[in-house]
Amino acid sequence: MAEAMIRLDGVCKRFGKLEVLKGVDIEIGRGEVVCVLGPSGSGKSTLLRCVNLLAPPEEGEIFLEGHDICKGPGSGTGEESWELDFVRQRVGMVFQQFNLFPHKTALENVTLAQEKVLGRSKQEARAKATELLERVGLGDRLDQYPETLSGGQQQRVAIARALAMDPHVMLFDEVTSALDPELVKEVLDTMRELAAEGMTMIVVTHELGFAREVADRVIFMDGGVIVEEGPAGEVLENPKEERTKQFLGLVLDR
Amino acid sequence: MSEFFHQYFDFTIMGDHFSEILEGFLRNLLLFAVAVVLALIFGLFLALLRQLPGKKFMPLRGITIAYIDVFRAIPLLIILFLISGGVPYLNFLPKDIRIPHWFGQPDPFWYAVVALTLVYGAYMAEVYRAGIEAVPGGQVEAARSLGMNHGQTMRHIVVPQAVTKIPAPMLNEMISLLKDTTLASVIAYSESLLLGREVLAETFNSSAVMLSGLMFLVVVLPMARLVDYLIKRNQGKITRGAHMEVA
Repeated sequence: MAEAMIRLDGVCKRFGKLEVLKGVDIEIGRGEVVCVLGPSGSGKSTLLRCVNLLAPPEEGEIFLEGHDICKGPGSGTGEESWELDFVRQRVGMVFQQFNLFPHKTALENVTLAQEKVLGRSKQEARAKATELLERVGLGDRLDQYPETLSGGQQQRVAIARALAMDPHVMLFDEVTSALDPELVKEVLDTMRELAAEGMTMIVVTHELGFAREVADRVIFMDGGVIVEEGPAGEVLENPKEERTKQFLGLVLDR
Repeated sequence: MSEFFHQYFDFTIMGDHFSEILEGFLRNLLLFAVAVVLALIFGLFLALLRQLPGKKFMPLRGITIAYIDVFRAIPLLIILFLISGGVPYLNFLPKDIRIPHWFGQPDPFWYAVVALTLVYGAYMAEVYRAGIEAVPGGQVEAARSLGMNHGQTMRHIVVPQAVTKIPAPMLNEMISLLKDTTLASVIAYSESLLLGREVLAETFNSSAVMLSGLMFLVVVLPMARLVDYLIKRNQGKITRGAHMEVA
């Protein structure tokens, strides 16, 4: 593997006394799609928040395209450091609760950061946003406000919003967990296309079918550590660790 | 009973002094109009100072919190006296500031504007804060993950949503401010209460003061109804929002 897109080296994250990540090592290559599975509270979401420094780790190093993005771990929020811009310009994130801006239309949700952060002109941002919203199948909803869109549509706007920043990596944090079953597919389809286009993706999910089909690799986490990782088929069909078997058994029994 | 009625509702006295009291009441409204705009701006400024992130801004946050606490704790009337009875003697200040007569308004008007702005800015900062804290954390996370800095996040995402959550409590502060403009009577700003008290001193009859009170009633009652309406509407929104979540 050439230079890793993302490399985590002994990453630890605490919230007060609660130790959420207890030394996590991961390497993710360019264009790789990695699904992270695990029970709630296992640290999956925190892992994503570490990677884009929404929750900078206390210990360990994270390298993004070879740059150490948390120099001086424990140095606080990293608010004033250059890494923050470096990271946020390269890493897009989509959230479980969509987090669309309710006072902005679908189009404005996608253009705002383009204009304010990347300094694109109104026309440029609009063109890009229109193109992306058409791509996720919402070309006819540009001027609608989030509250008039279904959950699945909102989540697709959120994906378009993140893609508008031309990220090199996309983080997905249980993006289908808040959706009705029949709306899940449209969001997963959008993610499938993205994966097929070669986007590097870290996907925290409970959708085992999606993981089996799309992921190059699956990571199973529990209690703040990686329990097992490997090719999707292998981990999902023939898990080696007892804890993984137990978890997958529970999920499949549903 | 008729004695009571005469003391408070002598229509002859009310009629004789109506235009005078009304003129005074318009001065209450003018004082309110200027002070409320300045307090709304100053309050937002304080609220934003209080939200500045990181260790670097800790001193500034501390000063802001101290300011808000102090000016909410000291009675407005005392602030009013401290300004009107002190600023004129601060000889290091230029005369235009010590004894301001800007835009043709007398110096008590400006002392009252400053006192109301300082105190109500502190109250309103707390209302803004409630609004800012009511914006879900996910909104900030989303904005930050798109690369917006703290200032951009506040300006484009948090504040526009915060102000839609607080019209009712903010209107309550405005109602209080309007009523507190009568305090300016004690520093000789000739608003409706001062004029009413002059009539009281001449006639030993309270009708002119009552008239001033009635004028406030006429203006404030619709505002109070508006507060109720806004609270109801807001609750409707919350219910609809919850429904959206489920749908």
